[in-house]
Amino acid sequence: MKIEPALKTGVTNDQSLQKGNGGNGGMRRDLSGRQLAVKGLSGLGKLLLLVYSVITLYPLYWLFISAFKTNQDFFNRPYGLPLVWMKENIVRAWELGHMGRAMVNSTIVTLAAVVLTILLSVLAAYVLARFPFRFKKAVVGIFLAGMLIPIHSTLVPLFIIMNKIHLLDTYGALILPYTAFELPIAIFLAMAYMASIPREIEEAAMIDGNGWWGIFGKIVLPLCTPIIATISILAFLRFWNDFSFALVFINTQALKTLPLSLSLFSDGFGTDYSLTMGAMAIAVLPTIVVYLILQEQIMKGMVAGSIKG
Amino acid sequence: MPTALRSKGFIAVALLPALLLFLMFVIVPVFWSAYYGFFSWKGFGAASFIGLDNYREMFQDGIFWRALRNNLILVASSIIGQIPIALLLALLLLKNTLFSRFVRSAVFMPMVLSTVVVGLIWGYIYQTQFGLANTVLRMIGLESWTRAWLSDPQVNMLAISIPINWSNVGPYLVIFIAALQNISPEVDDAAKIDGAVGWRKLLYVTLPMIWGTVVVTLVLCISGSLKAFDHVIVMTGGGPARSTELLATYMYNSTFDVYRYGYGSAVSTMIILISALLIGINYILTRQKSG
Amino acid sequence: MKAKGKIGLLLLIVALLLSACGGESGEKAEGSKGKEEKVKLTIWHNFAGDDLRAKTVRSFIDQYKQDHPNVELDAQAIPPDGYRQRLSTVAAANEMPDLFFVYAGSHSSELYNAKLLQPVTEALDAHPEWRDKFLPGAFDAYKFEADQVYSVPLGMSATSILYYNTSLFEKYNVKVPTTWDEMMTAIKVFNENKITPIALGNKAPWVAQSTIIGSLADRVTGTDWFKNAVAQKDAKFTDPQFVEALGYFKELVDNKAFQEGANSIDNTQAEQYFIQGNAAMMISGAWTLTNLAASATEEQMKAIDVTVLPAIPGGKGDPNTITGGAGGGLALSSRTEGKAKEAALELIYAVSGPEAQKAIAESNSMVMYDTEIDQAKVTSLYYKAFNLVKKTGITPVYDAYLSADAADVINNGLQEIMMGGTPESVAQKVQDAQARSVTP
Repeated sequence: MKIEPALKTGVTNDQSLQKGNGGNGGMRRDLSGRQLAVKGLSGLGKLLLLVYSVITLYPLYWLFISAFKTNQDFFNRPYGLPLVWMKENIVRAWELGHMGRAMVNSTIVTLAAVVLTILLSVLAAYVLARFPFRFKKAVVGIFLAGMLIPIHSTLVPLFIIMNKIHLLDTYGALILPYTAFELPIAIFLAMAYMASIPREIEEAAMIDGNGWWGIFGKIVLPLCTPIIATISILAFLRFWNDFSFALVFINTQALKTLPLSLSLFSDGFGTDYSLTMGAMAIAVLPTIVVYLILQEQIMKGMVAGSIKG
Repeated sequence: MPTALRSKGFIAVALLPALLLFLMFVIVPVFWSAYYGFFSWKGFGAASFIGLDNYREMFQDGIFWRALRNNLILVASSIIGQIPIALLLALLLLKNTLFSRFVRSAVFMPMVLSTVVVGLIWGYIYQTQFGLANTVLRMIGLESWTRAWLSDPQVNMLAISIPINWSNVGPYLVIFIAALQNISPEVDDAAKIDGAVGWRKLLYVTLPMIWGTVVVTLVLCISGSLKAFDHVIVMTGGGPARSTELLATYMYNSTFDVYRYGYGSAVSTMIILISALLIGINYILTRQKSG
Repeated sequence: MKAKGKIGLLLLIVALLLSACGGESGEKAEGSKGKEEKVKLTIWHNFAGDDLRAKTVRSFIDQYKQDHPNVELDAQAIPPDGYRQRLSTVAAANEMPDLFFVYAGSHSSELYNAKLLQPVTEALDAHPEWRDKFLPGAFDAYKFEADQVYSVPLGMSATSILYYNTSLFEKYNVKVPTTWDEMMTAIKVFNENKITPIALGNKAPWVAQSTIIGSLADRVTGTDWFKNAVAQKDAKFTDPQFVEALGYFKELVDNKAFQEGANSIDNTQAEQYFIQGNAAMMISGAWTLTNLAASATEEQMKAIDVTVLPAIPGGKGDPNTITGGAGGGLALSSRTEGKAKEAALELIYAVSGPEAQKAIAESNSMVMYDTEIDQAKVTSLYYKAFNLVKKTGITPVYDAYLSADAADVINNGLQEIMMGGTPESVAQKVQDAQARSVTP
């Protein structure tokens, strides 16, 4: 790889990237003018980002104001603030949808499945990324195929399998298939990530007398924090929002998860939007909290990395 | 030093649980479902073996080809849209300032929303009489551009792909940020000393470092777009007159609406085969690039 | 000792999987369990929501539970969005509940064809005074064999009521249409005044089929022709009279009777568009009464009146009719026997008996049962519709008779006509699909 010499400026990464948009034509202009232009561009870029963020956050805001509207208000003034703040929507959705119980179930199922996904996928990814062995290509290929599968086609066979092994109507009926379906993505993300971790670190640890488990636990796992956080976010969202498996594999009211509560207020002939929105507003809160926490974990990886450097 | 024998044991113990779980709950059902694809079966009652007839019918069905075309539009739009935007945003938002934290969270938020909410609000944006899109067009004097965005088969697939891309940028952003975090500061410093900045640094330093991740996101994009289901079901249900039908909605409708379970299974097997083909092509292309 | 912990966990998972796999032999265990004392009964239905009708039905199930302490009733309220998917999946594994809600039409007939249902005639015969008060034709959709009834309707689907906004008609001095010409005039006048003539939310494509084409076509072809065409005996959907009927629908489209983008908004949004005075008319089913009762004010509803679709010149059918028929009802699994079956039949009576029918009717929802309702308990609009339906004849709803495949084709065909398709090509596709299902 050959890197041609270019003008060295003090600009930071993101600014220089935006500057690149203008092509190389202005490269030889005088420095101070350039820096000014760069600052302007950066300001403009920030403004654009800000506008984009606000647009993107709007639906969330819309969900929350809609959750407090009457049905009429929802249709008459879809963008306005509620005329009367209907806290009842939230309360009724909570009670009618048995959302307290559903929230507990969703939490148990999602957390268990996320933990299982992380454990199994990072271990498998470590083996696949670092060890040569026979059939490795076949194993990678099988996992890759797993990313391509539309879940609806597996409902009936899965139902039959779970019925046979008496797994239906238990938390396991959700935890195990959730994990299984998330494994391919998790494994590939973790593998790609590990490919960029230098082997020297592990080799050093090996010389220090650590076994594979020791290296994995002491070196690999901590180094993988950012990707583990990433996998967790994706897995969490998928599990938390799944409708199809939860619909088909769970019978008992006491085991039902949140997405089932969300679709209670629509019957094919009409939808009670105020209750639907109320229920959705409740269900979305935990996901926001989890995202914010995990985002910090991704960023912690950077801090750890720079200390090492 | 761990011996070869011990490492064999480690490989087995570390890999087998994931593999077993995966085989049992994913691979077995898939083959099972592919097997149903050779039957004429309503999903209940008696089934009769018809060999490849389901596939023959599929290839002669205009709706299948339309669904495939729509899916390919989605694949293209997601590769052109989601990945570059996510990568650009990731590079811009790598620093942990309050501002970039805020933008990062904002970009991710559509992902936490239920597709029902996303579908509803975009339904309002596209609404013909008083929707946002048409209102804005009228305001700036482009009355002739106004349309029934989700009904008009000329534009509705495009209209649908926008919210899908918009809500899917978030995960790729997170994935790229995690990958970029992993580039050690020494590489950064070395690049600076060599004078690699801007596009050059991106092309010759950053991209090769995270190439593995880029390939994975491409695979995710392709498979995700071919499996796309929720947004379309909520926004158009595949209509009007099946103009926005996707392979997955086509499969779902065949299976659960018109009671053709065998045919639906054949379609879903086809989805897997097509994804595998596209991902194979992607693999060949990306390997050449990195090599 | 992290390593040992991990291995332990892995072993645990493997053990769990293996032990789970080992359980196959216990499959039929349920049959042999001692059930002398308590009868186990499961019922699945989709009355899961918060609307009055759902609450009413649930209350009767709860009542049954209280009255029958010897029955261990497992009642599952499943969200309607996923109901058919769930039922289809368990049907594929042959694990049906004892009692389950079925829709009239292809849903129940497909389940019957798969031998998953058994008759519930006994329940009706045990209460003749109840059986005889059902309206004529109430059981037609569930008589898969002569003298055997497979479900008792919990409601009536009257699908083609013409709702109109009296204040808009007065304001623009338009006559409420009773003939096709008057309909065309009304459409023209409202369009000139920038009022949508007819609100339609056809995103779920069955709407136009269920609410409009059934009635329209019946007025043109008469009911006998339709039944023959369904059976593919002496009549085909390519016959000129059916093409003509689709032509009338196209005439509505061509004259801009529906608001633009009707194919991408849902029924609830169309109802709201109509009730807020943006549209002068709406052709919709009795479900609109239930929906409006929950989301519109009594004041808004006072301005609305109901009638039947206008007559078609030279048509063979009776113009004073509404498409409709039995709504869904509870069906009995073919595997339920003995005491469980007795208990199930009693539950059917509890949920669809005289009291329940009256209560459902009073929850702003039509029933197939001759009952008096308390006017004070229902909305004014519902009361008007209730009396309208009493005076009119009932003609078949298309998707209750067509095969699932053909119904899907005509649903999409109507959307096609709204997008510029021709009646001839749609008629051909419907004919092909129906012929395929009748003679496979």
